[in-house]
Amino acid sequence: MSSNLKSMVELVKVTKVYPPDIMALDDISLAIKKGEMLFLTGMSGAGKTTLLKLICSLETPDKGLIEIAGHDLNRIKPANLQKLRQKIGVAYQDFKLLPNQSVYQNIAMAMEVTYKAPKFIRQRVDYLLEKLAIADKKETLAGKLSRGEQQRVAIARAASNSPSLLLADEPTGNLDPTISRKVMGLLEELNKAGTTLLIATHDDAIYRDTDHRVLNLHLGQFTNN
Amino acid sequence: MSYLPYILKQTGRNLKKTWGTQVMTLLTVSLSILIFSFFYLVYSNIISAGARLGDELRLIVYLDSEVVPEMQEQLKKRIRNFSDVEKIVFVDRQMAFNQLADRLDKDRDVLQDLNASFLPPSIEIYPKKDLKTLTNIKRFSDYLTTLPGAQKVQYGQEWVERFGHFTQLLRFIVILSGGLLIISTVFMVSYTIRLTLFARREELELLRLLGATGSYIKGPLLIEGFLQGLLGSGIGIISLYAVFNWIHSHFSGPGFLHIFELTFFPPLITFIILTVGVLLCTLGSMVSIRKFLQV
Repeated sequence: MSSNLKSMVELVKVTKVYPPDIMALDDISLAIKKGEMLFLTGMSGAGKTTLLKLICSLETPDKGLIEIAGHDLNRIKPANLQKLRQKIGVAYQDFKLLPNQSVYQNIAMAMEVTYKAPKFIRQRVDYLLEKLAIADKKETLAGKLSRGEQQRVAIARAASNSPSLLLADEPTGNLDPTISRKVMGLLEELNKAGTTLLIATHDDAIYRDTDHRVLNLHLGQFTNN
Repeated sequence: MSYLPYILKQTGRNLKKTWGTQVMTLLTVSLSILIFSFFYLVYSNIISAGARLGDELRLIVYLDSEVVPEMQEQLKKRIRNFSDVEKIVFVDRQMAFNQLADRLDKDRDVLQDLNASFLPPSIEIYPKKDLKTLTNIKRFSDYLTTLPGAQKVQYGQEWVERFGHFTQLLRFIVILSGGLLIISTVFMVSYTIRLTLFARREELELLRLLGATGSYIKGPLLIEGFLQGLLGSGIGIISLYAVFNWIHSHFSGPGFLHIFELTFFPPLITFIILTVGVLLCTLGSMVSIRKFLQV
């Protein structure tokens, strides 16, 4: 267990190198408190997506320690990792939707793996779709949606379990300003309810006037941590 | 919400997605069960028919002299030590004479001027009517010739040996079809599960990222194997019963098959065949999960 139980995410001297020798993250350290909302900015290739992938254990670091809610990801047992993943919502940059399943099924599956009641799932999906202005696409196959719509489905799925930690990779990348505001509205609502948020973006419109912490990554290192 | 409804729902989705392969597997499992249980049914009917035909089977050991009662006990002990028998009857000369007279019936006059001394005394041995005894009867006969005073041993040697060979051949076929059943069932089910895993690989990967537990992912695949076994074995046994009924109704009159009193498997054997089918299919499913699914 972590020495600091107030931290949701803790990275200590983390390095990630992709073959042959691309330094994605270079000896970085970071602590995100429970309930905090943090923006991660930087140019493409700065290491934002890599950092999110390490936190959701989609990838493993070459060096360093990563702790999520007190769990050391280097030592966590597979069964505990799955339980931890149930508490982490991730809106991937490439969405990771199942194209042959409906919008409803794509969102519901995140709640089904945590054995939520069918009635709750239906209500929650309806609420999220309404909130993100795609209620009319509920039965549409995910593969038939535009990129902007797919992005909103990915965000709805990440938010569906009201996770303890939500990682969003470019959540407004394909959206117009009105829809972007709706997405941010949903994320802020989750944050107010206690979800820790880490948003990787280079859309400065969503963090320009924010009171939350903004970290900038450049060539795998923080420039303002 | 409990675990089971989700697992069943997921199983339903899997079956729907790969129904073509599922049907082929179901047919293979059913056919394997049908072939195996058909030979096993023939085998068990032949064995029981053999036991009935062998009711009159006995080995007669002709002796050179009468056996005193003390010696009889000793001989009985030696015989029973070699093989478990149903009964042992000592026939002295007078009894043999009376038996012959009874058999001659109206022609018993031919014995009028004779006395019992021309007939040898003997021991009649009625062996157990199981396959082991029947196939070892030659050895048993050879042993009996070594008994003190034994002159000759007689039994329906030709019939017993043919029957022994036939049942051994059937036993070989049953074992062979049992082996084929195991191989085909495990292989087909594991192959089907592999196809399911392949068809759902993207979804399974995503489920892992969403935090699905091992049992959430493996459960439906195991149920799939279980259902294949249950349905496949059920169809196989029902088909065999239909074949059995057809044979029974068409050949139950006078004729070759009349010597057999055809019987179907008792409920316990039916249950065992079903259970083995289910276990084999579930095993096939587990083999694929272990090999191709890292959860």
